[in-house]
Amino acid sequence: MLVTWKYRRRNTIIQRLDPRTRLVFFVFVILALTIPDIWDLRIILPLFAVSLTLFLLSRIEWKDIRRILPYMFILVFFIVGLNGLLSGRGGPSSVTNLPSPVVFEVPIKIPFTDIGWDIPITVSKMWFAITQITRMFTMAMLVIPIPYTMDPNIYGTAFKRMGASDKVSFTMDLAFRFLPTFARDFTITMDAQRARGYELEKLKGGLVGRLQRLAPLIIPVVMQSTVTGEEVIDAMDLRAFGTKPRTWLRDNLKYAGRDYVLLGLGVAIFILCCVLKWGFGIGGYFVPEFFLNLFV
Amino acid sequence: MSDKPLVVENLTFKYRTRPELAIEGINLELKQGELLLIAGSSGCGKTTLARCINGLIPRSYRGERSGKVLFHDREVAEIPIPEMAQVVGTLLQDPERQIVASNVYNEIAFGPENLGLPHAEIFSRVDQVLKRLNLEYLRDRETFNLSGGEKQKVALAGVLTMNPSVLLLDEPLASLDPASAHEALQVFRSLADEGKTVILVEHRVEDAIEARPDRLLYMEDGRIKYLGPIRDLPPEIDHRQVKLPAPWVVQRVKALGEPLEESPRRKVEERGEPLVVFEDVDFRYDDEFPLILQNVNLNIYPGDLIAVLGPNGAGKSTLVKHSIGLLKPTKGRVLIGGEDSRKMSVAQIAHTLGYVFQSPTHMLYAPSVKEELEFGPKNLGYDSALIPKFVRESLSAVNMTGFEEYPPLGLSFGQQKRTTIAAVLAMRSKILIMDEPTAGQDFANYTHFMEALCKTSDGAHSVLSANFAATLFITHDVDLAVTYANRVLLFGDKHIIADGTPEEVLKDESLLLKYRVRPTSLLRLNLELLPKTGGFLPAESLAYYAS
Amino acid sequence: MNDKSTWAFGTRQVVYGAIGAALYGVFSWATNIFPLPAAGNVTFRPAVAVLIFFGAAYGPWVGLLAGFIGNTLGDALSGWGFYWNWSLGNGLMGMVAGLAMAAIKDFRAQADIIKAVGWGLAGIVVGMLFASLTEMITGGIDLNTALIGYFTPAVIGNAVVTIILVPILMIAFAAVAAGRGR
Ligand SMILES: Nc1ncnc2c1ncn2[C@@H]1O[C@H](COP(=O)(O)OP(=O)(O)OP(=O)(O)O)[C@@H](O)[C@H]1O
Ligand SMILES: Nc1ncnc2c1ncn2[C@@H]1O[C@H](COP(=O)(O)OP(=O)(O)OP(=O)(O)O)[C@@H](O)[C@H]1O
Ligand SMILES: [Mg+2]
Ligand SMILES: [Mg+2]
Repeated sequence: MLVTWKYRRRNTIIQRLDPRTRLVFFVFVILALTIPDIWDLRIILPLFAVSLTLFLLSRIEWKDIRRILPYMFILVFFIVGLNGLLSGRGGPSSVTNLPSPVVFEVPIKIPFTDIGWDIPITVSKMWFAITQITRMFTMAMLVIPIPYTMDPNIYGTAFKRMGASDKVSFTMDLAFRFLPTFARDFTITMDAQRARGYELEKLKGGLVGRLQRLAPLIIPVVMQSTVTGEEVIDAMDLRAFGTKPRTWLRDNLKYAGRDYVLLGLGVAIFILCCVLKWGFGIGGYFVPEFFLNLFV
Repeated sequence: MSDKPLVVENLTFKYRTRPELAIEGINLELKQGELLLIAGSSGCGKTTLARCINGLIPRSYRGERSGKVLFHDREVAEIPIPEMAQVVGTLLQDPERQIVASNVYNEIAFGPENLGLPHAEIFSRVDQVLKRLNLEYLRDRETFNLSGGEKQKVALAGVLTMNPSVLLLDEPLASLDPASAHEALQVFRSLADEGKTVILVEHRVEDAIEARPDRLLYMEDGRIKYLGPIRDLPPEIDHRQVKLPAPWVVQRVKALGEPLEESPRRKVEERGEPLVVFEDVDFRYDDEFPLILQNVNLNIYPGDLIAVLGPNGAGKSTLVKHSIGLLKPTKGRVLIGGEDSRKMSVAQIAHTLGYVFQSPTHMLYAPSVKEELEFGPKNLGYDSALIPKFVRESLSAVNMTGFEEYPPLGLSFGQQKRTTIAAVLAMRSKILIMDEPTAGQDFANYTHFMEALCKTSDGAHSVLSANFAATLFITHDVDLAVTYANRVLLFGDKHIIADGTPEEVLKDESLLLKYRVRPTSLLRLNLELLPKTGGFLPAESLAYYAS
Repeated sequence: MNDKSTWAFGTRQVVYGAIGAALYGVFSWATNIFPLPAAGNVTFRPAVAVLIFFGAAYGPWVGLLAGFIGNTLGDALSGWGFYWNWSLGNGLMGMVAGLAMAAIKDFRAQADIIKAVGWGLAGIVVGMLFASLTEMITGGIDLNTALIGYFTPAVIGNAVVTIILVPILMIAFAAVAAGRGR
């Protein structure tokens, strides 16, 4: 098992952006959708288009994301499905409880019992699901490319330049340093225990027993890491870590024209959403006529 | 300010958590440009002395310290840390644990960055050091992918960018193949020649001699036993404690005047059916990666005591992992007891084949040594009535009886290593495979258990003859191959370069050098005396034949 | 570096924060690959025990950094991207667990183990509550869904893992610490 960063140098506009720009833009989009509580698909769709454009510009190959797409869909179905099942009071999805024509009903039954009920799927719930999916993808698509397109060596500096302390920023760098090491330690430990006849595939016993049997895998790696820590502390102290404000070598981060454009766009989106919602009352959830008409 | 770079006066230290003194009454004075070698067995206090010198004691470690450590008449505890880092540079044993950046350039620049130096200054220092150590070819690499030797050099570069006047090197050779160790020693020598004071901690005295140390400091139980030129090492410090060059050992054994006797010849066994067979094995880790093994053919027979030699990263561990089914060939097949490894699970193979991993910390987990040893046999489904017997016998084989109830994680490194060997012995496999069994161990300790596991000469009682049909070990220590193997494999360039008796394989010096194996003094002496001895022998036994 | 004061923040906290984060990231990611015991819609994430243990052993800052960065790394490795609210929730989980540190004297003593587990459970509740509730804004779910669909299974899964594995880790650590003691 090898931990490989998915990062590769690609000659794209996205990679020429300052890493801070991307993080800040992402934060603006989240704020724009969540603070004024935007649930109007007419506003979400244009934002979705912006996200999609940025996503496509990062030119991630299909084979890179192929594997995680199923997870994404499971997650989306889970959330949307749960909403159907559990909708109650509070939260934005309470709108789905508004009286609305029922399209069909899904029977639910708890296994091995006679308890069951029918869940009415209303027009309102269906439209809400569509909105919710679009809204989630609008945010997710800004994030998914990050591991593929941002050099791991730059995270620490990016944190530093966004105002974190030397120590916190370096923690980030150091974590990147250790990640592949521990992944390898974990593999070696797996192998060493298998060579002693341990078979993870055949974990027996009850829940407690099975969890306890993970000890031969977890303990060696964790304990070795605590010992490693002591030596790393020595090594860092001996090289004067934390005694003075640090120089950060790769801090030649500078905002360029394109960065200002994207940051400006982020601010504009945020302000526009706030103004629309609070100034004009536009942006809340509603089911459009045409969608209702499809079913009535 | 005096011109004495370092003076240690009557230094004593006791760790807070330990009742006994770790070092006691140390006196020492070093000159500029001097190279001092510190030796002594495991736990004798070498690292503790090093920590006193670089100021970690009393800064980071609590305990009771008395005496003085002075750099140009300034007490170490009173020098501020940022300055301290420029007075003493410290290189630790395990480079893996002192590299803090994921990228070579950042790693080397780490110290100057912490000092808050301006960019231009950092760039020029780093470039200078890269050039000095011939490391320019590594500057854009990830630290994770470096070989052990490269890691150690990068770590050294990181220390040198601080421009320290004293260099403290705590067992820096442990993870290196012989050629890399040699290169590192040359670098240390040249640093001393440039006027830096160098302190080299290393118990493999024979190897360290290549750096031509001015003096040797030999420690035992926290005290100085000897301080002076290596040549004058008094006879009470014997060749079983410190590894000395073979000709010296011969001289010393003779000087002791003990009766010498002719050594018994190794017994030659009939080869039976092979236990493990590699047939045209190819292997790569992933479709996108290059081949690591190519067309490997190998038979392991009963009675074999195989030493595998070869450069860092050649694929020795990869090769050996095939025989226990942890890896399956990309092409070709591996037969274990006549069956294809693809059709067996690792657990099934573990019945016939025991594998001791290189680092004990990768497998120890149980709250007591006894439970640790029971883990394997229980997994393999042995009758629970038999297990206590297996445990008892394996513990006594590695000299660990009495430790049953100790937590393995609280033991010293050497004891942990022996526990892992016992844990594999307790599984009663037919074949024993060990990956670098002696790495990081002190000489007296590893000679002890190698004797117990591998001694094959007639009459010697060995665990091996009682339990195992064959043994294979990977090592960077040529002397182990000379002393304990009856068959040597040289591995390099994706396949087995040479396979034969130690006498056949090790006589070709240019071939060895090509695969980064350096002939040792023991090997040279053995080759010289081969006409008389008829087979390789340990240094003590050579005394009888040397004129 | 030595001081055991709860809120110290020096090299030690940086190093163990990073190590905890890397371990938490690796273990979280590994659970995606290996089949693990599950009951109903509760899946277990044994990595959580490692996080709680690091909090208890090295304090709240380490818990916070390990939880926040570790979850971020784990998500990034699996190709998920960055879910700030879950990362922050995990950070809170480790941080509250870290409040146990000052109270622990002997990692082998039953009373101290109970303290560590107790603070760990408190951390789990706080952290998961934070993450579930914020999911209402980012994911548009309602309170019921947040509590029944997210909070409850996460708390049950994490609590079971913590109660079973944290004591084992602490006992192992007691042996390691005895050999080094700083
Ligand atoms: N951090 C520590 N806390 C308590 N005791 C310690 C510590 N470090 C070392 N010791 C003890 O002090 C003694 C000297 O240890 P030290 O590490 O200096 O030996 P060493 O000569 O460097 O050994 P090795 O060759 O194994 O590295 C040993 O008994 C060891 O157990
Ligand atoms: N799990 C893995 N995935 C990909 N490549 C690997 C893996 N393990 C080892 N390698 C690569 O395979 C090659 C051979 O590694 P191996 O560990 O077998 O070498 P070795 O001869 O045992 O070296 P050493 O003497 O340093 O232990 C190296 O280049 C290594 O980087
Ligand atoms: Mg030492
Ligand atoms: Mg190897």
